[in-house]
Amino acid sequence: MEIQGYTLPDELHYEENHFWVREEGDVMVMGMDDFAQQMAGEIVYVQLPAEGKKLEQGKRFAKMESGKWLGKVYAPVSGELVAANENLETNPELINQDCYGKGWIFKIKPDDKGELNHLIHGPEAIKKWILADIEKYKQEA
Amino acid sequence: MKMEAKYDFERKFREQVLKCSRCGFCQAHCPVFGATLRPAYNARGKMLVLKEVMEGKIELDDELIETLFQCTTCASCYKNCPSGVNVPEIIKQVRKDMVNIGSCHPAFTGMHEVLQKHPNIYGEDTPADFERERNRQAAYVFFIGCVGAYREDESTLATLALLDRLDIDYTLIDEVCCSGVLEDVGFRINPSLAQKNIDLILATGAKTLMTGCPYCARTFTNKPPYDALKEKGIRVLHISQVLKDFDFGVKTDKIVTYHDPCDLGRHCGIFEEPRQTIRKIAPGFIEMPHHHMDALCCGAGGGVRGAYAKNSIAMARRRLQEAEAVGAEVLLTECNSCVHNLSNAKLRKQKIEIYTTTQFINQLLNPQ
Amino acid sequence: MEDRIKNALIDIVGQANFTDRLIDRVSYSYDASEHHHRPDCGVWADSAEQISHILQLANRYRIPVIPRGGGTGLTGMAVPQRGGIVLDLNHMNRILRISIEDRLAVVEPGVVYADLEKALDKHGFFFPPDPASGKVSTLGGNVATNAGGVKGAKYGTTRDYVLGLQVVLPDGRIMRTGSRTMKSVSGYDLTKLFVGSEGTLGIITEITLKINPRTTAASTALATFRNLEDAGRAVSQIMHSGIIPSVLEILGRETIVAINQNTDLDLPVVDAILLAETDGYTRAETEYQMQRVISVFKQNNAEAIKTADTAEEAAGLWEARKSAYGVLARIKTGFVLEDVTVPMAKIAEMLKGIKAISERHGIMIATYGHAGDGNLHPQILFDAYDPEQAKRQEAASADLFRLAIALGGTLTGEHGIGLQKAAFMTLEHDPAAMDVMRSIKKMLDPNNILNPGKMALEN
Repeated sequence: MEIQGYTLPDELHYEENHFWVREEGDVMVMGMDDFAQQMAGEIVYVQLPAEGKKLEQGKRFAKMESGKWLGKVYAPVSGELVAANENLETNPELINQDCYGKGWIFKIKPDDKGELNHLIHGPEAIKKWILADIEKYKQEA
Repeated sequence: MKMEAKYDFERKFREQVLKCSRCGFCQAHCPVFGATLRPAYNARGKMLVLKEVMEGKIELDDELIETLFQCTTCASCYKNCPSGVNVPEIIKQVRKDMVNIGSCHPAFTGMHEVLQKHPNIYGEDTPADFERERNRQAAYVFFIGCVGAYREDESTLATLALLDRLDIDYTLIDEVCCSGVLEDVGFRINPSLAQKNIDLILATGAKTLMTGCPYCARTFTNKPPYDALKEKGIRVLHISQVLKDFDFGVKTDKIVTYHDPCDLGRHCGIFEEPRQTIRKIAPGFIEMPHHHMDALCCGAGGGVRGAYAKNSIAMARRRLQEAEAVGAEVLLTECNSCVHNLSNAKLRKQKIEIYTTTQFINQLLNPQ
Repeated sequence: MEDRIKNALIDIVGQANFTDRLIDRVSYSYDASEHHHRPDCGVWADSAEQISHILQLANRYRIPVIPRGGGTGLTGMAVPQRGGIVLDLNHMNRILRISIEDRLAVVEPGVVYADLEKALDKHGFFFPPDPASGKVSTLGGNVATNAGGVKGAKYGTTRDYVLGLQVVLPDGRIMRTGSRTMKSVSGYDLTKLFVGSEGTLGIITEITLKINPRTTAASTALATFRNLEDAGRAVSQIMHSGIIPSVLEILGRETIVAINQNTDLDLPVVDAILLAETDGYTRAETEYQMQRVISVFKQNNAEAIKTADTAEEAAGLWEARKSAYGVLARIKTGFVLEDVTVPMAKIAEMLKGIKAISERHGIMIATYGHAGDGNLHPQILFDAYDPEQAKRQEAASADLFRLAIALGGTLTGEHGIGLQKAAFMTLEHDPAAMDVMRSIKKMLDPNNILNPGKMALEN
């Protein structure tokens, strides 16, 4: 859906810190959503931990930087890190250009796909969440 | 030819700009040119643009931001210029002229605004907590600096651990940004921030101010808003100058190389002190092809990491290639900004480890 | 620049490799000479194919194309005198191959000389023609200007080492010249046509270079001569010593004075100082050669002769010669570095003539250079923003050229013609030679799009 200039595809699941998740066979693909990408500005660095790292839903496991902002990357589901998008090492701006496609960041082998139920999903939930965050950032600015 | 100088850079540096004989030798040293191969970014390209401004052929305006604000002020060009043109000083002055006419890179206008409201360049309000007392009475003050406090906390913790181990009587303070960077990107040191730092330092009764940040060290030593420190006889030291006489009793058999930060080496002449410490712990110490006065800039300085991050990291990548080419397994340096940029530039497949010297020593003392 | 041309260029090289930004057009207006002119745009090319498309486009719309490497040319050959497209070759900077058994290296035009040197050094080899700008000049430029260097007397110039090229012709055809063998006489020597052609006949996209094993021993000596004629004769008589020194450099009086005023070298103020080096594989061998050189110096009234026993001492002797350019560059806001070359037997006369020209025009001329192959560098120093002094510089240069030609010499030993000396080409070359050069240009580049306005190739 489109809300006030931010694109958030309905079929994805979202972690509240603005990371999306999508099922691809056995693994979950994750990335940063359009709202966060726009707020952050041009991404200049993404930390890519090694494969095999154990992740816990809701816990931070990596960091990203834009020119003005240092952000934490939170695991949307628990599991094992099985892949990282190495294109982001030399072209981190792929996240800004195509955050749901070429700008994917990590692939996770989930412990329990059921954990998706803890995430934000569906047009109603997405709309409520985004509008709240738009307000929050407006006040902070 | 215009008769009257319109800008301060022309009043102060006209002769120098004209002295550039366009030989292009700076292309061999400029890190921005080295990473981009774009002549407009090279020192010669910058002097040509300024020459044409002085000649009235082009305007000093937003069109020129991309080159005039993209200089790490490493001074490699100046040190190797057959005509002795002090490009970094000219650049810093023209940036002030540009800010005066309302033409500035948004990253720096942003930085200036942030420092009007916040105590650090990142605009973060929660001060980093290093589990140590602040504002005590002590013989030494340890000043962390923004990068050390908000981006490289592990390195800072390691330095503090070493200072504790050596039983040095030091205290942290509720420091604020030294704001020295503002002088280099078109603005001026924030006087209230400077005064805050001075007051806190003086209140501790310390006679020596130590810092891990070469940039802060330069600011405290050279910039007029901090003259009060000199007047009160306070010595300013970089941590490498404090540690050089100690022996930590640890060694590594890894091949170690050292990256001279521009702000510590080329700008302050501190080359040997860090090496003194490193040689004690690493018998396998090896120099990179560009070292000491000739060291290759990591690309973070002069505000470039904030304004042109992609090129900044590309410059750091070139430096890492040098380190790898000499077979180094560990790269040590004395500047958190260098560590930050070099670490960001490191590719996953590169195995080289990057630390400040204190961080590395701390690791050797506490093997996991 | 018309949008359709701009878009066509972007289609060829990609958006990221096209620029019509002001800051780029300013840098591309200049090289290391006194000349400058705005181009319409700059492009970075990655391959011969891309360049072929660019030149075909340029022909279609009659737009000038000016190739550029390090931009360190001293006579304006990289200045876009008629506007157009500056073709920046610095992205083509790979060393494609080094073969020690075949004694060759294959490089792209954007390879910086110093990087080739570093790569060859690992194998114990080197590329002898070593221009002073070697830290920044690129091989494409070195080939296009037949760059020399301090080792020219013994080892020759770039031309002597180019075995073959890949060139994109002005009409876009991609052509190979020469061979990958040590020698060949198959067909006309097209390689030599392009060496020194200053980007007017084709764009060089690949270069096969002959390389030499590095010598491992050297002897160095510095000799002072109170009298200019003695120094000149010493140079001319070097051939009688029976050996060719690897380096024979000269510093004139004005240069010596300038060095003393700007460094703490404290050289003896004499008419000339000669720096000589002999090289080989054993110290005995180089010392033997150096003794022969020194006896020629002594026979010609050398006042003091200093030799070196260690590498540090040798470096000390070299310092004066190395500082010359930098010292002279700081004295005035403007200078023109000439490059006149005369037969070795005429060096003394040429040096005297330079002094007379300096006095006649009331302008400072400091001379240094590669005495060993007759290549002098009289550096004319003046205030670039004083039109009256600029006129005197032009007159002095013209006199230098006339004198050199009169002594049987040439306008330029290694810097090239470009814009700087174009007006004097007919002084050196007879009508038949000029006609043949212009015909070749016209045949290869009928629309005159490649670096037009240089080398007096237009009638």
